[in-house]
Amino acid sequence: MEEIIRMEHIVKVYPPSVVALDDVSVSFRQGEIHAVVGENGAGKSTLMKVLYGLVARDDGEIFVRGQPAQFHEPGEAIAQGIGMVHQEIVLIPEYTVWENIILGAEPAGLFGTIDADRARRQVAEEIAEFQFNLDPDAQVGEISVAARQKVEILKLLYRNVSILILDEPTAVLTPQEIPQLFSELKKMRDNGKTILFVSHRLDEVMELSDRITVMRKGKKVDTVEANRTTKQDLARMMVGREVIFSSRRSQHLYGEVVCQIENLSYRDPEGRQRLKDVSINVRAGEIVGVAGVEGNGQYELVNSVVGLIQPQQGKVLVKGIDLTHLPILQRRELISFVPQDRGKMGASVNASILENAIMLHHRLNPALSAWKGLLLNFANARRFTTDLEKKFSVNMASSDDPFRSLSGGNQQKVILGRELLLNNPFVLLDQPTRGLDVGSIEYVHEQVLAMREAGRAILLISADLEELFMLSDRIVVLYRGEIAADLPVESTSVEDIGMRMLEGYPEAS
Amino acid sequence: MNQKTISALIGILIGLLIGAVILLVQGYDPLATYQALFQYSLFGLYPLSTTIKNSVPLILTGLSASVAFASGPVNLGQPGQLVMGALLATIGGIYLHLPPALEVPALLALAMLGGALWAGLAAFFRQAFNMSEFIVTLMLNMIADFFTAWAISFPLMDRKAFSPMTPQIDRAGWLPDWGSFNSAIPVMLIAVGIMWFMFNRWKIGYEWRMSGQNSLFARLGGCEIRKNFVAVMLVTGALAGLAGGLVVMDGPHRFIKGLGANYAWDGVMIAIVANNDILGTLFYGLFFSAIQTGALGMELITNVPNEISQVLQAVLVLVIVASREATVAIMNRSAARRKARQRVVGHIEEKAV
Amino acid sequence: MRVFIGLITGMISGATPILLAALGGTFTFYAGVFNIAMEGMMLAGAFCAVVGSYFFHSWLMGILFAILGSLLLALIFVLFAVVLHTDEFITGIGLNLFAVGATTYLMRQTFKVKGVFADPGIVAIPSLQIPWIKDVPVLGQILSGQNVIVYLAVLLTAWSAYTVFRTRFGLRLRAAGYNAASLDSSGVSTARMRVLSLLVCGVLCGLAGAYLSLGYVRLFAENMSAGRGWISLAAIILVNGNPWGIALISLVFGFSDGLGLLLQGYNVAPQFTAMIPYIATLIALYFFSVRQKRLQKV
Repeated sequence: MEEIIRMEHIVKVYPPSVVALDDVSVSFRQGEIHAVVGENGAGKSTLMKVLYGLVARDDGEIFVRGQPAQFHEPGEAIAQGIGMVHQEIVLIPEYTVWENIILGAEPAGLFGTIDADRARRQVAEEIAEFQFNLDPDAQVGEISVAARQKVEILKLLYRNVSILILDEPTAVLTPQEIPQLFSELKKMRDNGKTILFVSHRLDEVMELSDRITVMRKGKKVDTVEANRTTKQDLARMMVGREVIFSSRRSQHLYGEVVCQIENLSYRDPEGRQRLKDVSINVRAGEIVGVAGVEGNGQYELVNSVVGLIQPQQGKVLVKGIDLTHLPILQRRELISFVPQDRGKMGASVNASILENAIMLHHRLNPALSAWKGLLLNFANARRFTTDLEKKFSVNMASSDDPFRSLSGGNQQKVILGRELLLNNPFVLLDQPTRGLDVGSIEYVHEQVLAMREAGRAILLISADLEELFMLSDRIVVLYRGEIAADLPVESTSVEDIGMRMLEGYPEAS
Repeated sequence: MNQKTISALIGILIGLLIGAVILLVQGYDPLATYQALFQYSLFGLYPLSTTIKNSVPLILTGLSASVAFASGPVNLGQPGQLVMGALLATIGGIYLHLPPALEVPALLALAMLGGALWAGLAAFFRQAFNMSEFIVTLMLNMIADFFTAWAISFPLMDRKAFSPMTPQIDRAGWLPDWGSFNSAIPVMLIAVGIMWFMFNRWKIGYEWRMSGQNSLFARLGGCEIRKNFVAVMLVTGALAGLAGGLVVMDGPHRFIKGLGANYAWDGVMIAIVANNDILGTLFYGLFFSAIQTGALGMELITNVPNEISQVLQAVLVLVIVASREATVAIMNRSAARRKARQRVVGHIEEKAV
Repeated sequence: MRVFIGLITGMISGATPILLAALGGTFTFYAGVFNIAMEGMMLAGAFCAVVGSYFFHSWLMGILFAILGSLLLALIFVLFAVVLHTDEFITGIGLNLFAVGATTYLMRQTFKVKGVFADPGIVAIPSLQIPWIKDVPVLGQILSGQNVIVYLAVLLTAWSAYTVFRTRFGLRLRAAGYNAASLDSSGVSTARMRVLSLLVCGVLCGLAGAYLSLGYVRLFAENMSAGRGWISLAAIILVNGNPWGIALISLVFGFSDGLGLLLQGYNVAPQFTAMIPYIATLIALYFFSVRQKRLQKV
């Protein structure tokens, strides 16, 4: 197979001083499925973005089909037959499938109108050709995530791309949806397309790829043939040391029930039933993991517990106290909460680290008060922050630095530290390791297990089934707003949970 | 000198430069014009004290906008809150006859009350009906304008006057001058001081700031967003109202037509340039007051119409803000480029070895 | 009957500048630009219209100048908000301030007057009598004899609706507002769509300004846009951008304007009648907000 893309000595530094790509040279062959692996922050996404023209490189050369190429924007790459499907699907929910597919390449009618009939026909033909099973007139906001991914791919095929770049495509799919995607990708390869596949999931990469390039901390480690390497080799190359893939949970006795979520039902303002009779109990020293495809009620569950949403029916009790109608401040005296989105809910990124660290403590911790509770005791606040820094190994320069100057992992440590130092009996964690590098993920897992040892009750929502299985004592599945499973972790498997996530209760066996 | 100050200075310089170009194009001598401008505002005790005196309503309305924007509510209603405060203070001054030691604080309190109530109206609409305070305060500005115009033309009109205005307020409510030092100034400074202290040292000020930066985060942190919203609107309305009261008590001692028209958008403008920083508001309030005060004198000497000051102000606002963001971006990008060059050079050296 | 016709005509007059400015704002709204500079663009248009009309003794030149003046402001918006990435809200406010200052200053410099410039040398934009229709009883007096710009506004409303919803440009324009990342990755520059939307807004606000100073009345007064830019903004928000909806809302606001004039004849103080359009805006906002609140999630 001949070489189709060559990238030489690529350097990319994000302002002010983050080296994302450090002299990376790599080449891809025509008609292969080539995976680029590495942990979060290794540079694999950035490398593809540089190739695609989304991000400008600081140095290095790129050759496409032997010719030097310099793409300033995706349109130029597409013109050369290269297309990219992003991890975050960037479609327009308000438009239909066919409108999304033709956007930017619309068949024209008179005076600049869109020839809607021709467009619909072309899209339908393409869907049939690749056997994608989509309705061209469906509104993209209403279809499943896997379907949306197919729309993204179709968008590129509509423009006749022959080189497809996929960035973490399996991150949004359930275990059951992945094999179908893989078979479609293999069919495309057999038809002559080249597929570049960015991922950190080694099992999938081993199954799908012909060749694999490993990146670590902005450098390329090596490129190997898939059938001549092992998952262990790849992991070692990715992280630089031996990685343990097993669980470290200890066996112990659970305490009393700390959190009782009883018969929670919630209908949203548009009339859709988002939660139906959801009941979950969490005991002291227990981790209950919540699995589910995004959009099946997790958002409403978390927000009901924390107090942003008022469910129409049901109760939330912590330590016997009915929180259902209490304001957020009072709930937070019992509930520690690490939200899904650091930037939107967990912190104020432009404020200083100190200001982020003391939130809630400013009201609940008497040491931070001065003068009859009106003033903040800044000296103590500073001490508190430094204390947090030490206890949670936060790598920071000064408490007055803006929060956004911290890396993702350190930001999460500050948030975790702030919440844990509240010493609450119940801890609610929503995707706590999303977007973190392997080191930080390990750290968070350690902390979660330590909380468990210390006897706290933990409710953990996560999209990462491996993580759930590693940490949880029990797993609960949310499907269409209802509990579709509530099982001790030993009595189930990843495939079983994946099935319930997709289909609810299994068929009667 | 830190990044903030550098970018501000660059912005001011570029703004003045553009102003100079505009003057040149019109056929005026920029150097002479600027010299006259600053001579009539800063060089000398009388110009300086006039500038500081004129800066009082600018700084107070700027403070009102700064604190509001930094805490979340988009309070664009300073013009309306100012005139309502002025009106209430005038009414008090006409009907209350107390000794000066009591009259002055009473009128100031009424001024703050007037502004707070007018802002409170917008806060009410937001809390009860979810109506955007952005639009409501803007509409209330126009309504307040017309309402006060009616008030001074009919019920409160001074029958002896030739044009719509109220009778003078009680002599006890006139703010005295201590030499060339105006007594409105300490009032303004106290207000700035209190606001700074409250915003930066009080717990509630912390909550306001966090609410303004990320209201969801503040909510999850137990902050009572609704209560804080109303409180901020009332406080910032009071500040604008105070400015109105001071204008009446310190200047014409009655509510005349067009009062406060000059201070229409200046408060917002100053807050924007100062990036909602309280001390920055103080500085820029003085700065823009210098431009406005100097412009009148400048016209006498150089024949440049004083309205050019309005153009200069607008240019300065745009340029200072743009330069602030551009400077940060440029500094970051050059730091990044330096680092990239290190890497490239480093690798060339490695290969050579 | 005369009162009724007067009321309708007043309604149309009051509605036209708001409609035009709001149509301009619609394009930027759909493109995802937070544009609050319509007030300033209208004011610049009004001033330049008078300049063009006075010095060239032609209302056509007045319209041309109005469009150019408003476009100049739109270009400054592009420079700061798109090229220099300055916050759009701040840029809008800065531009409005600049328009007030510049028009006040230039009026003094060019015409040597303060406050108002009214002169017989200003050529107003004429009205158009449509043959046959003008003879229809009642309706004829409303449909015919309106100012040229009024008819233009109607045509532009239809053109806007067509462009935004049926053309390629419109699909991309709305995409820029819905999801800029998606449009960029489709190979179309979102920045370019936003610039184009600002230019369209400049043209339409220029027309609105020309109507203010050459159609509605025949003079230029300091700050004569008088908050109409804000009312257009409110109109866009209330109707979520749809051009026909905007036409309807503009009529409502125009009506409140005309009602004010009517009430003056009944001894209601002029200050209160002047308040009516702004109170009407508040009432419209009330209905809109209450409905929004019911649909809010968190």
